[in-house]
Amino acid sequence: MTNVQRDQAPILKVENVAISYETRYGDVEAVRRVSFEVGHATTFGLVGESGCGKSTVAFGIVDFLGPNGKITGGSIKFQGRELVGRTENELRRLRGDQIAMVYQDPMQALNPSLTISDQLNEVLTVHRNISEAEAWKKSVAMLERVYMPDCSNVMSRYPHQISGGQQQRVVIAMALLTNPALLIMDEPTTALDVTVEAVVLDLIEDLKRDFDTAIVYITHDLGVVARVCNEVGVMYAGEMVESGPVEAIFADPKHPYTQGLMRCVPKLGSTKESSRLYPIRGRVPAPKDRPKGACIFAPRCDYVTDRCHNELPVMEEASSEHRVRCFHHKEIDVAAWKPSEDLVFDLPAVEEKESQEPILEVKDLRTYYTQESKSVWSLVGLGQKRYVKAVDGVSLEVPAGKTLGIVGESGCGKSTLAKTIVGLEASTAGKAEFLGFDITVPVSARDIKLIQELQMVFQNPDSTMNPSYSIGQQIGRPLQRFKTVPANQVREEVIRLLHAVRLDESYYDRLPRQLSGGEKQRVGIARAFASRPELVLCDEPVSALDVSVQAAVLNLLLEIQHEFHTTLLFIAHDLSVVRFFSDYVAVMYLGHVVEFGPAEAIYAPPYHPYTEALLSAVPIPDPTAEQKHIRLEGSVPSALKPPSGCVFHTRCPRRTLLADGGLICETEVPPWRYNTEQHRIYCHIPLEVSRQMEPVVTAG
Amino acid sequence: MIVKDYMTKHPVMIDPAMSIVEAQSIMAETKTRHLPVVGEGKRLVGLITHETLRIPPNILTSLDVWEITRFLSNLTVKDVMVKCKDIITIGPDITIEEAARIMVEHKIGCLPVLNEEIVVGIITDTDLMAHLVEMLAAPEPSVRVTMRMSLATGELARLVAAISAQGWGIWALGGIYSPKDPNSWEAVFKISDAPREQVIAALSKIEGQKIIDVREVAG
Repeated sequence: MTNVQRDQAPILKVENVAISYETRYGDVEAVRRVSFEVGHATTFGLVGESGCGKSTVAFGIVDFLGPNGKITGGSIKFQGRELVGRTENELRRLRGDQIAMVYQDPMQALNPSLTISDQLNEVLTVHRNISEAEAWKKSVAMLERVYMPDCSNVMSRYPHQISGGQQQRVVIAMALLTNPALLIMDEPTTALDVTVEAVVLDLIEDLKRDFDTAIVYITHDLGVVARVCNEVGVMYAGEMVESGPVEAIFADPKHPYTQGLMRCVPKLGSTKESSRLYPIRGRVPAPKDRPKGACIFAPRCDYVTDRCHNELPVMEEASSEHRVRCFHHKEIDVAAWKPSEDLVFDLPAVEEKESQEPILEVKDLRTYYTQESKSVWSLVGLGQKRYVKAVDGVSLEVPAGKTLGIVGESGCGKSTLAKTIVGLEASTAGKAEFLGFDITVPVSARDIKLIQELQMVFQNPDSTMNPSYSIGQQIGRPLQRFKTVPANQVREEVIRLLHAVRLDESYYDRLPRQLSGGEKQRVGIARAFASRPELVLCDEPVSALDVSVQAAVLNLLLEIQHEFHTTLLFIAHDLSVVRFFSDYVAVMYLGHVVEFGPAEAIYAPPYHPYTEALLSAVPIPDPTAEQKHIRLEGSVPSALKPPSGCVFHTRCPRRTLLADGGLICETEVPPWRYNTEQHRIYCHIPLEVSRQMEPVVTAG
Repeated sequence: MIVKDYMTKHPVMIDPAMSIVEAQSIMAETKTRHLPVVGEGKRLVGLITHETLRIPPNILTSLDVWEITRFLSNLTVKDVMVKCKDIITIGPDITIEEAARIMVEHKIGCLPVLNEEIVVGIITDTDLMAHLVEMLAAPEPSVRVTMRMSLATGELARLVAAISAQGWGIWALGGIYSPKDPNSWEAVFKISDAPREQVIAALSKIEGQKIIDVREVAG
């Protein structure tokens, strides 16, 4: 194309920036040697694990570092103007007018005591100095631009009265009201559900084109990067180790750390049989322990040489726009990479037992939460009770030694289902049998032997551990309670368990606060497996963890499962992880299981329309993969008053396949359609029709 | 082709209180020649160009070296900029040929694009030049032809029919009144996937039209 080569200066130019925080130990350098440029209508992705300084860089740009943070070197130029060393007043004007930020949690960015209109109008009346009425008009127009349904109504609501996705749209609208040249987005979709995330990511892409805005996009999710970014900078321990166009980074990562990250994430479609995840060994050093005058990744690198320990690598050009901070990037051959000894483990082939006796059988299980009506009668106990139907008629069965993955958006009832099975919530109706025992009774009424066989790993390891008890005591507690081993052998058993989760004996006397997130989750797993249970329920065990830690924890669970031949119930919202980890998958929507079957069957046609939409929304860490574009409209209906007929009919994009535009979906409960004996779909659409759907994801 | 789709959005803008030394360094840094000066809420108050930064020779000769430095460092953008009332501006919804006409008429190099006083973009002579190039650009090597035809209706349709009869496609097309003959019109276009000789052979058969120029170009 003979496009004229126009030398347009970048909107933002960051050069060799170093940022320090003052702490008790003196100044700690959180970020150093970071350089990048962002041009018009370009999204620059900053990726890296937690604590690597991504957010510090973003805050440094607008000088939001707090009283103890300061920029100690380098330059940050915004449209040619140096930002480092500006006074507070000058920066404030720039921030309001030309630079905007969108933060991770929309609820914290919005003021809960002001209506949406107050908050939007304020931006215009303060920075643009225009009248209230004019500001109102412009705000409504902007809300329309971010595809907010029912704009003028939303204007008069308070933040808590709209959904999370809508809140984030309000925040984005607010950021764009002054038409900024630079937009900094700090994990804007991390707190959102995958289907909502997909819509917000589409919106960001649209707005970038329309407004010609330069975007700095901070995220830890490689899938999101592949979807929205044009250029990527990979950060590790406060330094930028690699940067370049997104295609180059994904197709041909040069830095050993980037290569390691890619090996940590399961691709959508990979399974535990077909592939392995390889965590990066070691952990990110704390800022004060970082190697000085040496390659920062050297302690964890597979290609390390003496030079790496003694000399500081500089950013070298691997190709015209692809830069990498590594001495050996030319010699490293990714294809020849072999996992080191400690990462390889063989999963012994499980002998297929003929009798696939389900260990857990749930039939038509219901868990309702009662909610008193607001009438006066309810004060004296005469009011009509209403029910939140969190789990509404779920049937599933899990064969022994297998893993069942449960996926669905937040509020679909997957956690309630787990809690009901484990006995933390009382069921309302239905049958649930575990090893032939009835488990519809709450945990307090259960036999101790039964409790022993059913254990749980929780999402957030921090809040499930007692901060004042040592790790050894906490793992030892179930051993004593269930008398798994004689009292005098508890310590040995705990240490054996610690070894099983790859922690050494020294952890016995440590307190939870001395452990990293990944280590705490390992302790949580050790504690769950202490009583040698038959079934372990894992409620989002890896979603709070960084990708490299996530890979290690998933591997660990796989290993332990094989060793103890335990059955796992694995709840997650990340479809790639579930595909990788599970033998069977149940897709839940609004308290119902809408599709159930072997993992590989769920991810290929025929689909339930909801599964199809979920698969199309999930971000894939591969910029060349083709994904069908299906977006769900509206938000999940209230479980207090679920829709009649098929619960999904209000949002179903496939209803048009049926006669009368799917009138039957509104009136009649759909039948279970059996694709195979094990794979069933809860939908009115005949299988002959849904079999002809194309696969959602095709690899590039 | 409407200005709002072709202007530079988010132009580099400066404060009236900025020193001209800094304004100069921003111009050098961002490789721009025009800086809109904006006040509260990106409202246009002035314009800085290379000409405005030039110090009149009579001042230069009357000052010694040390005084020049001081003179320069005290000078702010506000002192030298073209004032708002003297700037010619346009709205975002006019066509780019209209914008070009305004620039030619006033012999100026840039037009700030305003939406109710607020600067939303800028369009410069270089932008227009770049778009002229793009209008006549083809993605691959092609044959560039100039044809002269009469002003009668249907002439262009005959030309296009002759080209499509050969199975060729037209990549870029522009037209202008013939500079040599005010009663005729010249069409400039590029043809893909066709050898020069065949193009000449096919086009010379069209009655009443004349090939002015044929050449092979890279794009």
